[in-house]
Amino acid sequence: MTEKVRVWDVPVRLFHWSLLGLFTFSWWSGENHEMEWHRQSGLLIVALLLFRVFWGLAGSRTARFAQFVKWPGEVLAYARKASDEHATDGHNPLGGWSVAALLLVLLTLVTAGLFSVDVDGLESGPLAGFLSFDGGRAAAEIHEIAFKAALTLIGLHVCAIGYYQFLVGRDLIGPMITGRRDLEAGETVESVRWSPLRALIGLAVILALVWAISKGFQFASAGDV
Amino acid sequence: MNKPRIRTIAAAIALVAAAGGTFAIAASPADTIAARQANFKKMGGAMKVIKDELAGSADKAKMAGAAKTIAAMARAQVPLFPKGTGPGAGVKTDALPAIWTDRATFDGHAKKLIAEADKLVMVSGTGNAAAIGAQFKAVGGTCGACHKQFRADD
Repeated sequence: MTEKVRVWDVPVRLFHWSLLGLFTFSWWSGENHEMEWHRQSGLLIVALLLFRVFWGLAGSRTARFAQFVKWPGEVLAYARKASDEHATDGHNPLGGWSVAALLLVLLTLVTAGLFSVDVDGLESGPLAGFLSFDGGRAAAEIHEIAFKAALTLIGLHVCAIGYYQFLVGRDLIGPMITGRRDLEAGETVESVRWSPLRALIGLAVILALVWAISKGFQFASAGDV
Repeated sequence: MNKPRIRTIAAAIALVAAAGGTFAIAASPADTIAARQANFKKMGGAMKVIKDELAGSADKAKMAGAAKTIAAMARAQVPLFPKGTGPGAGVKTDALPAIWTDRATFDGHAKKLIAEADKLVMVSGTGNAAAIGAQFKAVGGTCGACHKQFRADD
């Protein structure tokens, strides 16, 4: 039996697959005007994204921004010799920027959503009260543009994964599910390590913040609309 | 000798005046569309005011003012959907052709909006947040019902 090495920690994998599920659900609920569901789902995505940013600073080796957000020079050097590259655990220098870009676009998407108002002034994000109607409509425009940008980046991401999975023949999907990949002969790579306590503390703070956002930072409201 | 000339001038003036008058009555489709879009925008803004107030300090005067805006705009919209101001008018509009093929239903929605908006004006004067919230939803429901049928989805 081949030996395995752990390359993705549990929070990264949970983040990845929950994000996929919630993004799909948000898309569906938005298209079908199920705005109560759309708001709930969006708030959960806010929590996920904030957690991922936190985990980029506090997570395991492959989760950290320091490991995968490289200077442009390194990215170029990597792209030039990409044909003879060896497997990089975590994100490679090019993929790292794709992840960073997707995170930024998704953060823009959900932030704009929090401030958005629909044309009828009827449905709005929990923070729309801080903007005028016109401001809220502008936020909705940004929400729409960021959504299209996110779809484009997700499309690129899926193409890149498909390329490695089926043309290069390197399994990337399996490790994102199980967290582990086969060790090559004679290879010595340490498994990633992470602290559940740190994850829980981060999660607790983020959930409290997202709860406050869901209330629009107004904790005594006159009526429920 | 001078008389026919004076008559001609008078006729010309009358003609110009009549033409000008006609222009004033029948605005161009673009102007009509712009006018009703501006009204809808005011209604949306007023809805947001009520919603924000209900979530926050529930200022009675602000809510009553916004409710009045909605009721006034609902009435102002009635004559702003003449034939020829649909998608074919050459101006960007989300108004669907169904408005002019199913006019009775469309007018029914307009009447319902006016009735619900008037009720909103009444309850907003009471300052009862729960009642205002319920009536807000009733008004919103009429917006949504009509938009579903008669406005292009964006």
